[in-house]
Amino acid sequence: MKKLLNNWIVQVLLFLSLLGLTAYGSQMINDIIPPYFLMIAFFIGINLIMALGLNLITGVTGQLSLGHAAFMSIGAYSSAIATVNYDLPFLLGVLIGGLIASVFGVIIGFPTLRLTGDYLAIATLGFAEIVRVQFTNMKITNGAIGFLGIEGSTTFPIVMTIAVLTICLMVWLENSRNGRAMLAIREDEVASSAVGINTTLYKIQAFAIGAFCAGVGGALFAHTTTFIQPTDFGFQKSVDILSIVVLGGLGSIPGTIIGAIVLTAAPEILRPLSNYRMIVYGLLLVVIMIFRPYGLMGGVNLRQALRRAMMFPKKKQAGREE
Amino acid sequence: MFHKKRKSLVVMSVIMSALIMVSGCGASKPAATTPAADSKEPIKIGFLGAKTGDVAMYGLNTLKGLNMAVEELNKEGVLGRQVELVEEDNAGQKDQAINITNKLISQDKVAAIVGDPTTGITRVAGQIANSKKTVILSAGSTGMDVVEIGPYVFRDTLLDTIAAPATMKYVIQEKGWKNVALITSKNNDYSVSLSKIFSDAIDANGGKVVIEEFIQDKDTDFSGQITKIKSANPDVIVFSGYYTEGALIMKKAREVGIKAIMVGGDGLQGDDLMKIGGAAVEGSISYAGFSPEQPTPNTEKFINAYKAKYNNELPDLFAAQGYDALMLIAKAIKDANSADSEIFKDSLAKTKNYDGVSGSITFQENREPVKSPVYLLEVKDGKFALLKKVPVEIK
Repeated sequence: MKKLLNNWIVQVLLFLSLLGLTAYGSQMINDIIPPYFLMIAFFIGINLIMALGLNLITGVTGQLSLGHAAFMSIGAYSSAIATVNYDLPFLLGVLIGGLIASVFGVIIGFPTLRLTGDYLAIATLGFAEIVRVQFTNMKITNGAIGFLGIEGSTTFPIVMTIAVLTICLMVWLENSRNGRAMLAIREDEVASSAVGINTTLYKIQAFAIGAFCAGVGGALFAHTTTFIQPTDFGFQKSVDILSIVVLGGLGSIPGTIIGAIVLTAAPEILRPLSNYRMIVYGLLLVVIMIFRPYGLMGGVNLRQALRRAMMFPKKKQAGREE
Repeated sequence: MFHKKRKSLVVMSVIMSALIMVSGCGASKPAATTPAADSKEPIKIGFLGAKTGDVAMYGLNTLKGLNMAVEELNKEGVLGRQVELVEEDNAGQKDQAINITNKLISQDKVAAIVGDPTTGITRVAGQIANSKKTVILSAGSTGMDVVEIGPYVFRDTLLDTIAAPATMKYVIQEKGWKNVALITSKNNDYSVSLSKIFSDAIDANGGKVVIEEFIQDKDTDFSGQITKIKSANPDVIVFSGYYTEGALIMKKAREVGIKAIMVGGDGLQGDDLMKIGGAAVEGSISYAGFSPEQPTPNTEKFINAYKAKYNNELPDLFAAQGYDALMLIAKAIKDANSADSEIFKDSLAKTKNYDGVSGSITFQENREPVKSPVYLLEVKDGKFALLKKVPVEIK
């Protein structure tokens, strides 16, 4: 963590986001950036937070999950209930949303993590459906009509700060003992348990942290749209988040960031194409996956690549083969 | 090889991020040029709705009505200016709708927004439009908590709270069907809220809900519910959901020998009702905010023009409401002699007995529309036919 905080990129990002949190900074942001672009940046941030969570589960630990929208909805609804029904402050609501989602991540984790691959995917898919149906039938969530009257408390600096903190957390985790254990599980579960890695523990850890991120993202989403319905968190949402991770490159943090930017901004950038917009969008996905089958940043070591691009190689390095 | 690839990738990403930054900065510049009221620049009207996705039919038909209104308005112009439509597709998704609403208001500087045809998105877009002081007129939302958002939010639809009681009055008092079986689709927001209105209206008109059953959208087997309903022996089945489930319910009901017909909201109006239900749905009654039958002179003119423009296609509810929405806004702009939302929202709110193509429109003090008449439709020989026009009294 110390090493990470010494990194100048991290310092600049943290400084910028903390500046944004001040009254002066947020005023400046509202003056400089038109609301339309600010809103796109908003959703990039929210999607990024959720995608980083899924990247830990699916990309780093290798557990295919199709139920990320369920954690998102748990975070969204519990934070909304916390701020609307119990008058709690917004940031506390976000934290509660994340924690409750995380608890559910653990609860779903124990019985299903004995499964792997496609079987786990189906189980998480089923879990997501259960959650959605539950929210449709609960009284406190106002059922299918949707939860109304949520304060639009989310601001761009908050989203950005949480996104930067999430990136830091993920980078730190990747280089930690836990992160390496998760990577080992992805590469070979049997071998890693043979060398003494408690695979269940680390898989559940990944689910808990990933669900936490999704819950936080969901809470921010709820306090942005101010109105949520169970249909907002359907299967499509899970697939959208998964696409970000896969398109960016499974397990790659820079990849997830780029994926979140590209996939969130593309539908808006392509708006001038009007009726052909979604065709081009789909085409874009196909083309990217054909030319970069491991995702945009799959198999790319960003630091090495940057060094080479900037033409001052410190030493000859054998690049990681793709 | 890898070296080259990586380099180009990095260069590409740098260029892309630079582009995004440049486009972000560039767009902020023209922010100061708000067209003055007397300039000859066109009055821009934003359209918010789905052109793709599950609810695209609503959006596309609204757009057809809107385009007709634009054509007609531009013959004479509004305040000497042309009307221009800025249409955007939200694919029925909230996040896209938020982006579009912001774009229409801050980038395109529209005078007003027409949309969205669905309640959920109107609630979200309405919040933004209201805080940015831009009039938004939904040509389709019928749920609650829409106009309550604020003084810039309007709608021109036949509300369930007006149509459902009128329908129940007809069913209970004119037809004398007092014992009602009420069916709700639990995972359908429209059905849940409509059932509440139906059950209040049944009580108010002296009817009685003898049995209340619940189904889920996309269910196909209703034997359990229908068997219970048969033993309650109702005079009529009131179903508040959509046509697919409605058709399947009636098929099952006829199978077990229930003779009562089905009554429901505009959610029952899809051709699939007859395709799936066949003879079982014959006689089913539902209400609507528009019917091309027995038109008033104004409506007839609209229908003929619509048919001429769109290959003999008959306009539906959404086309008629879209057309009315823009005409209402244009009239308000003319009355206020200003295309500034802050000014013409007041003249729009004062609209009384406006002779729209989907019926007469009056905005009450709380901006909720009262529309008259309510069109009761009946399934006759496998088609929706006008049964009765029920006039609505304005309190």
